[in-house]
Amino acid sequence: MKTFLIPAAALALCAASVSAWAAPGTVLRAEKLYSQPASTSKVTASVAKGASVDILAKQGGWLQVRAGRSTGWIRLLSVRAGAGGVAGVGARDVVGAATTRSDPGRVVAVAGLRGLNEEDLKQAKFNAEELARMEALSVTAAQARSFAGQSGLTVAKVPDLPKPQAAQPASTWESN
Amino acid sequence: MKLKLMILAVSLVSFAGGAAGGFDFGKLLEDRVKEELNKDKPTQPAPVPPTDQAPAEAQGAASPPPAKQKIDARQLGLTLLTGYSPEEETRIGRQIAGDLLGAVPLVRDDKLQNYVNLVGSWVALQSGRKDITWHFGVLDTEDINAFAAPGGYVFLTKGLYRRLNNEAELAGVLAHEIAHVTQKHHLKVLKESSLIGALGQAASKKAKDSDPVVQNLIGNGAEIMARKLDKNAEFEADRVGIVLAARSGYEPWGLPAVLQDMAGLPAKDSRTSLLYTTHPHPADRLAALGEAVNGRLDSVRGKDVASRFYRIK
Repeated sequence: MKTFLIPAAALALCAASVSAWAAPGTVLRAEKLYSQPASTSKVTASVAKGASVDILAKQGGWLQVRAGRSTGWIRLLSVRAGAGGVAGVGARDVVGAATTRSDPGRVVAVAGLRGLNEEDLKQAKFNAEELARMEALSVTAAQARSFAGQSGLTVAKVPDLPKPQAAQPASTWESN
Repeated sequence: MKLKLMILAVSLVSFAGGAAGGFDFGKLLEDRVKEELNKDKPTQPAPVPPTDQAPAEAQGAASPPPAKQKIDARQLGLTLLTGYSPEEETRIGRQIAGDLLGAVPLVRDDKLQNYVNLVGSWVALQSGRKDITWHFGVLDTEDINAFAAPGGYVFLTKGLYRRLNNEAELAGVLAHEIAHVTQKHHLKVLKESSLIGALGQAASKKAKDSDPVVQNLIGNGAEIMARKLDKNAEFEADRVGIVLAARSGYEPWGLPAVLQDMAGLPAKDSRTSLLYTTHPHPADRLAALGEAVNGRLDSVRGKDVASRFYRIK
């Protein structure tokens, strides 16, 4: 793998071409790679927060990724899709400048479509007809249970998740 | 304008944060509100909704002063100082939902709407809130977003729906919104902000069939959908939502998969600009959820129900 020897620009080009079949991702916290999509399987490598990976496959709560020379399975929630580092840096550079955060009324129509904005919501007039339509769509608990039963969905016992103790990951999103 | 909203958000956070310091201030406002209430009392016939709190109030009749206070606040439909009954919550939610639907109508596809109501109602059944009727709707816009109003009015946009791959992902999105309702996130914001609003002008925006009392109270209800909740409220809705979906028999990875997808969208996409003004970045949400989940859902075996997922034509 002489990839490691070529300059950054060429590396970026290389990554771009690879993304045609493997999506780029960024590791959100220090994690282990496992040989199988299960935490009981063998640990094959460790990855640092901020590391770039290629996402190769997805299975349940696991992603198969390649990080440098290692390939293995990592928890889905430990990786964000897309290059550009963990939220802080990447998000500020890319999104902070590009979204309409500083002026939500301004529309950046990159997709060629005008998105819903605050002004639309502020100007909105109560629509009784649409509300009546929505309320008429309601289903009963019995209908919902029958619907779930048709595809074999059954109630599972899952405990509440604990509130995280430590501070939330710092987000430049909030402060700028 | 954005600045104003942010100042409001900051003041709300500090309001909620400084419980001890906020108390005196709250008392001050309470006194002012009572003045206002007494002034308007003869002209404003009051809806006193029957609630399950009624026995408590009847009991309180033995000790007149606190009971009197409570009734005073209710007489204008201003239960700002006492908390909302399910009926009041629904009334507020209806107003917000009707206002939002004034900005964006529903997709004209009854099969789609019925499907979303079935999935949403099934997930909501596991939430433990049985005192409200749940309503779900897909909004006819390519914008990528989802909304929840108090009282169980839940929306997602067609733009978001199109990106979903299976029923577990839909359940995950709806579960996040259902969690906003069960945790009363918007109601808390309204309670704080309308308390301030109640002291100011109460100009009525006239609209056919809209609820003037509630409209006075909350201004344009749809606007609150553009208001940012505390980021911890969003993280909490993710935590509660992922568990709700799992309890409903779905694989828990629906909501994370949707967040993954959104994290990979180009940042300049106008379809997500409102989403990004009201929510933390999806990557931050994934990281926070990852900390909370870690290995806790490893043993959960749910279904993704891809086969019957309804595709928009």
